[in-house]
Amino acid sequence: MRNDTPALVKRITALSLITILLIGFFLAFKEMPKGSAVNVNQRVSRLYVMKNVETATKMMENGKFFAKGIKPLRTDVPYTPITFGKSKNLEDGAANVVTSIVVDYRGFDTLGEVTVLFLAATGVAMLLFGKEKKRKNKTEPSLIMYVGTRISFAIIFLFGIYIFVHGHLTPGGGFPGGAVIASGILGLFLGKNGYKPNHLGLKVFESLSGMAFVIIGLTGLFSVHSFLANFLPTGVIGDLYSAGFIGLIYIAIGMKVGAELSAVVNSMIVDVEEEWS
Amino acid sequence: MIIYVATLIVIVVIMLALIAVFSKKLLSAIIASGFVSLGVSGLFFFLQAPDVAITEAAIGAGLSTAIFIIALKKVKKGESKDEE
Repeated sequence: MRNDTPALVKRITALSLITILLIGFFLAFKEMPKGSAVNVNQRVSRLYVMKNVETATKMMENGKFFAKGIKPLRTDVPYTPITFGKSKNLEDGAANVVTSIVVDYRGFDTLGEVTVLFLAATGVAMLLFGKEKKRKNKTEPSLIMYVGTRISFAIIFLFGIYIFVHGHLTPGGGFPGGAVIASGILGLFLGKNGYKPNHLGLKVFESLSGMAFVIIGLTGLFSVHSFLANFLPTGVIGDLYSAGFIGLIYIAIGMKVGAELSAVVNSMIVDVEEEWS
Repeated sequence: MIIYVATLIVIVVIMLALIAVFSKKLLSAIIASGFVSLGVSGLFFFLQAPDVAITEAAIGAGLSTAIFIIALKKVKKGESKDEE
């Protein structure tokens, strides 16, 4: 639409666009499969929610697990304690409750958090990233700094990858793993003047991992009829290949956060040519 | 035993936070706030939240301190140019 079109035409076009969007939204909303209401007591076993499994097992044996007057919701399924390395085919195979809530039951919140971080990183890059300035009086870091940061970068990078690959087994996850990777890259910046990572490559990599998160969620939508639903078998608790899609999502989040925070560090540390007026 | 360690950490954290608020030098304020993050991550670990502790130690004590220092450097550069 050109600039010289009359305002009335513009308004009518905008109004019809909004109407079409609203109608489409309501049609899609009507066509959506009705999710059955989730009863948390039925889906998550109480033993799993109680952190201390040993105490819960003892209480079960003594018959004190359920308080007086409270009956178990499902009498057909026996309440069995979950043992590490033995229990199979649990509803959610993550080894700690926080992970299963953050990634599985409340995975949508995590998607929102990742989006907020993406917006923040984009804002920082928009404000600060620019052309490189001539470096005049900067002191070169010493040889020890250069070699030491290069050696420690490998170890830090590996540790970050370990943190987010084992996100469903240890209290770690995508965000700390990505932050650890970004601090390793900060070390590279400190070790050598004029170190330049591929900023565009970081951005593309980050967007691809963000899209991987959404694609995993859409796979859940089309196979289990719910966005970000667990569509993989959960396996034996404590194995590396367990807990369904939690490991995949944490790998996606870790790569995204690592690339994002590295881009933030890059755009902070590179000098901006234009001066503040 | 652990309650004494936690109490000590709390006292140190409060003192460091006061330093961060009232110190005249911005650099020492930034470093004090980094140590506040480190102490708080220890407290999170004592309160049985290891995931929050890891995140706080990696982001609060590591990355954000470095980014604050870089930002302080840039701001000082701009100030000196204005004075010239």
